Amino acid sequence: MSFLDSIAAGLSLVGNFEAFAALFVGVLIGTIAGAIPGMSATMAVALTLPFTFAMEAVPAILLLLGVYKGGIFGGCIPAILIKTPGTPASSATVLDGYPMAEKGQAGKALGMALWASCTADLISNLSLILFAGWLASFALNFGPPEFFTLILFSLTIIAGVSGNSLLKGALSAMLGLLLATVGLDLVYGTNRLTFGDPNLMGGLNFIAVLIGLFAMPEVMSMVWDPKPHEGKARGLGNDSVTFGEYKRCFRTIVRGSFIGVFLGSIPGIGAAPAAFLSYSEARRKSPNKANFGKGEVEGVAASESGNNGVAGATLIPLLALGVPGDVITAIIIGAFMIHGLQPGPMMFVLNKDLIYGLFIGLIVSSVFLFFIGSLAIRLFKYVADIPRGVLFPGVLVLCIYGVFAVNNNIFDVGVMFVMGWVGYVMLRNDIPAAPFLIAFILGPLLENNFRQAMLMSGNSPEILFRGPITWFFWFLTLLTVAAIIRAGIRATRNMRSKPGAG
Amino acid sequence: MRRIKRQSLIGIASIIVAAILMFAVIPTWVSSPSNVRNIVLSPLFWPYILSGLTVLIGLGLVVTGFFTTDPDEPEQPAISGGYRRLGILAAIMALTMFALPRLGMVWTSMLIFAATAFLIRTSHPRTAIICAITVPLVLYGFFAHVASVAIPQGNYVRLP
Repeated sequence: MSFLDSIAAGLSLVGNFEAFAALFVGVLIGTIAGAIPGMSATMAVALTLPFTFAMEAVPAILLLLGVYKGGIFGGCIPAILIKTPGTPASSATVLDGYPMAEKGQAGKALGMALWASCTADLISNLSLILFAGWLASFALNFGPPEFFTLILFSLTIIAGVSGNSLLKGALSAMLGLLLATVGLDLVYGTNRLTFGDPNLMGGLNFIAVLIGLFAMPEVMSMVWDPKPHEGKARGLGNDSVTFGEYKRCFRTIVRGSFIGVFLGSIPGIGAAPAAFLSYSEARRKSPNKANFGKGEVEGVAASESGNNGVAGATLIPLLALGVPGDVITAIIIGAFMIHGLQPGPMMFVLNKDLIYGLFIGLIVSSVFLFFIGSLAIRLFKYVADIPRGVLFPGVLVLCIYGVFAVNNNIFDVGVMFVMGWVGYVMLRNDIPAAPFLIAFILGPLLENNFRQAMLMSGNSPEILFRGPITWFFWFLTLLTVAAIIRAGIRATRNMRSKPGAG
Repeated sequence: MRRIKRQSLIGIASIIVAAILMFAVIPTWVSSPSNVRNIVLSPLFWPYILSGLTVLIGLGLVVTGFFTTDPDEPEQPAISGGYRRLGILAAIMALTMFALPRLGMVWTSMLIFAATAFLIRTSHPRTAIICAITVPLVLYGFFAHVASVAIPQGNYVRLP
């Protein structure tokens, strides 16, 4: 199939009202959810997932991708107007966005955030289109040993960078891997940790685990400390961003976009570090560096391009290798699985039309984001006024309906509640939940590839070191562990050297 | 100092959980066919390996907990009535599991919505009551009639 044939096949899948409507609605929901303090893009994608069960695969995935992209942008609106980032990815936007709002330039800050977000989103999507196919064709050579080492590397980096401590991240990943062993054994079909309950024979429901881990702890945190949202929304002011200002910040936006693309394509790093790195690079290189932190429009452009640059790039490892790079792509892999699709290199062979359909949809999503974002900026005050005392009970009820709808099983609702408490205990103890969920998803793949490799080699572990690809991933894994341990030791030393510490 | 203890406590808890898995749960609740000749391919292998690694990580947390100090991070302040409210939420969840098959999902959800809204001291009680009635009904309409999900109806009042 030639490139043009692939595009034509993709267009035949997405070139209909349903697909574009799903994408539009997704961006709209994401922007609104991202703009509500207390809701995150992750929660929005998780809560939207159950609504996609009845849809066709392409509109369902486009809806979720729209929510993801809208959610990442939407987070900047409360960050600028009420100094409360709607999503963690928007934390860096507060640094210059809120001082601009204080000076009566909120409209300009939001305008720049929108332009930077859409530009970065487009660059990120183009990078995805360029690199995912190449990576997938390379990954077609992978056998079970290569996939085993790749997944091991991904889990190591996710465990290492998701929280403040490698050990806590590793503990979280280990618990996720243990939970993934529940159910029938993949090779022999015998019971593993099912406790005689037929509900557990198929393993724990992925949606129940993810909603329990990522939505329920937010409800519990609200119950623990029921406070209304703080901060009063600032007016937009009369200033709006000009083309000259966009042109002045263009280099920063492109740099931030590529930082986002690079960090987004590495599993586990996520949008917030990309935004901060982009911001610090912009401050280092800008002629207006003294103005950063006091309301510099270039600072807003840098942080927003950094976090939106991640959005398309996190799909590179997902689509090309079948490895989710962060929690949101882990949820999206769930949508693929529900529709009987397995992301990975074979998808570029078997479902090329779907891949190109998604690429086309992603490019269109940047355009939708621009129009919906422009509208959302003006209508934010209505979203900000949604009382948390009504929002969170609504989230709880939505979780119950959504989890039940997966298998029509009340048992799954119980699993969600239990996982909610697990997630809350992890939250209170600074144990990151992302490695848990990603390990839970990748656990069966890790074990399956390991056992296949052992079967291939007659139980010789040498097969796990059989060629340059496995050696490469082993080297990366060791390098990651060493780098994280070194960073941890340095941080401890710095803390001890501070006066009054210890 | 209290933070050091917390990290060590997490480590001790993970060692205990892993030990229970290795010595009680896995031998009892993981079945392995008798003809599996190599331990690597046995259904027991992976759970034992993961439990063993959890013990190692737990030991790491205990050791680093004793040697690391993190004085800049403040302890989470105790919130008045926080544990009581969490206890009530746990009770609401337990009652939900009991009520779902008996009352049906719509009526149970209405009660959960209202109870949770008042538990978190909503400043908009009227809006909360209106939403407690409408949100479950709208969700029922979508899931039952659009997504064709068989929403539990309960034993008393059935919806179309």
